[in-house]
Amino acid sequence: MNFYLPIAEMSANIFLFLGMGAAVGFLSGVFGVGGGFLMTPLLIFSGIPSAIAVGTEAAQIVASSVSGAVAQWRRNNVDFKLGSVLLAGGIVGSAIGVQMVKILRQTGQFDFFVSICYVTFLGIIGTLMMIESVNTIRRSRAGQPTSTRKPGQHSWVHKLPFKMRFNRSKLYISAIPPLAIGMFVGLLSAIMGVGGGFIMVPAMIYLLRVPTNVVVGTSLFQIVFVTAATTILHASQNLSVDVVLALLLMIGGVVGAQFGAKAGDKIKGEQLRFLLAGLVLLVAVRMAWDLVATPTDLYSIGPALGRF
Amino acid sequence: MGLLSAAKARSLGGAMLALAMLVLDVPLADAQRRSRPAPSSPETPAARLPAPPMPPPPPGEVRETVQADVSARSVAITSSFTGTEIVVFGAVDNSKQPSAESGYYDVVIVLEGAPQRLVSRRKSNIAGMWLNTQSLTFESVPSYYAIVSTRPLEDAAHPLLLREHDIGFERVRMTPIRGWETGVTTADIGDFKSSVVRLKKRDGLYIEQEYGVVFIGRSLFRASIDLPANVPVGPLEARVYLLHNEQLLSTYKTRVALDREGLERVLYAFAFGQPVLYGIFTVALAVGAGLLASTMFGRASH
Repeated sequence: MNFYLPIAEMSANIFLFLGMGAAVGFLSGVFGVGGGFLMTPLLIFSGIPSAIAVGTEAAQIVASSVSGAVAQWRRNNVDFKLGSVLLAGGIVGSAIGVQMVKILRQTGQFDFFVSICYVTFLGIIGTLMMIESVNTIRRSRAGQPTSTRKPGQHSWVHKLPFKMRFNRSKLYISAIPPLAIGMFVGLLSAIMGVGGGFIMVPAMIYLLRVPTNVVVGTSLFQIVFVTAATTILHASQNLSVDVVLALLLMIGGVVGAQFGAKAGDKIKGEQLRFLLAGLVLLVAVRMAWDLVATPTDLYSIGPALGRF
Repeated sequence: MGLLSAAKARSLGGAMLALAMLVLDVPLADAQRRSRPAPSSPETPAARLPAPPMPPPPPGEVRETVQADVSARSVAITSSFTGTEIVVFGAVDNSKQPSAESGYYDVVIVLEGAPQRLVSRRKSNIAGMWLNTQSLTFESVPSYYAIVSTRPLEDAAHPLLLREHDIGFERVRMTPIRGWETGVTTADIGDFKSSVVRLKKRDGLYIEQEYGVVFIGRSLFRASIDLPANVPVGPLEARVYLLHNEQLLSTYKTRVALDREGLERVLYAFAFGQPVLYGIFTVALAVGAGLLASTMFGRASH
């Protein structure tokens, strides 16, 4: 059964995209991640123009993170003050990112830029996760304690000015690092079609030293609002949000995530991280291959958006 | 479907034959005079003197004319649009063809989509990676272009005729916009033009069917042309050329409207007319879907 996508201007198989949403939703349920870093590349590989994949995926992330954010809020796991600082930075980053997408699209460099971003970030994150999980698995096999958390240390981050008190997180730190982290994540959200949790969660834990019980709820709070802003900005600036495609992905995604979460409970944390690292690296390698492999046709055509 | 439209074509074609007597296209007659100088000139006095029992009709007396129509004057792009087929059918008035199989006439049909501004980009390898380095923007390129004929074009029509009427992929109108190019020299323009045709062909938007027009009777012909699902929205123009001995006898033009209908039309107008509201609407939909899912499944799992 096919449905004509109004913005992508192509006829798409409903079940393909429902299934894609369900599969990525399942994996994001298993690993407890947003799934944008998987969905956007999959959309691009399946022939959706990169800009529309990115803009539409932002809307899907809103759907997949809003229920998690509400659940975390009910359990009082959201630091609203810290979340708002991250969000303020995120909105600025998103606005910059959406303008960058606009310019890169006009100059025909957006596809390349998206690939470079994916290869760089997924490559780094995947490698770090892989090393960490392999070490943890090795240690647990050798019978050593698996916890490697060191007691809180003060780093350069804590010497910056404009200090703010974040009661829920029990932190007294400068507003600059969370603003900067939020902005960077907002930028990535707009350019890569991701929520940015894979950057924000480690940054909050290792740089800001936010207690782990608050990290997930606060980052989800930021992600919901930043991806919502990104969706509206992409829709208004780049006309690149396909509501029909988004709806298909949302339906598949929310259903898949329910089953994924149950499956994820049965696997050990470090094994999960190892599998996730493998998946992240796989996407990075696939993207890298497209950058270096000789294209079947050196030429490509598209609608002219500007004078380049 | 195919049979049905063929039957429809036949009955409609018959009706048009009757109408044909009344119609006289002045500019067409003009074109015929220009393209048919040969038959009148080699007349010798010897051929005139003995009156043959069946004299060939003097030029200008009973000319063949072509009339045509399409199976659908308007095609709606709805949510279930997966491409369609346009049947072009027509009739030759005053046909001198003994039978459908005689091949006396050639028919060339061009179905051309609305012009669009289009950019072609070329990748180069920089530091091991392929990225777009050159680009050329064309002011207006037919978004869709189908050529269907009774025989290969070069057999059916004189090269001059093809050039004069812009028939064929090599003659598709493409005008580069001056100053809108990046890293392109005049020598590259030909490569960029052929890239457009090649890629449009790959996407099924430029189509050539060398034996696509079939005569059904002495005067009736039909052709079916694919409109793929990715056909850009906009009016299409069908041009029908009737030829004999590589010379043009008559032409006929008709149009096919191609527009969004129903939900597609509403969503497209919303997204492009009220983009901010459309974005907010999409976010509201996402929030609704997320919350609905958590109330449906959430209670059970937590």
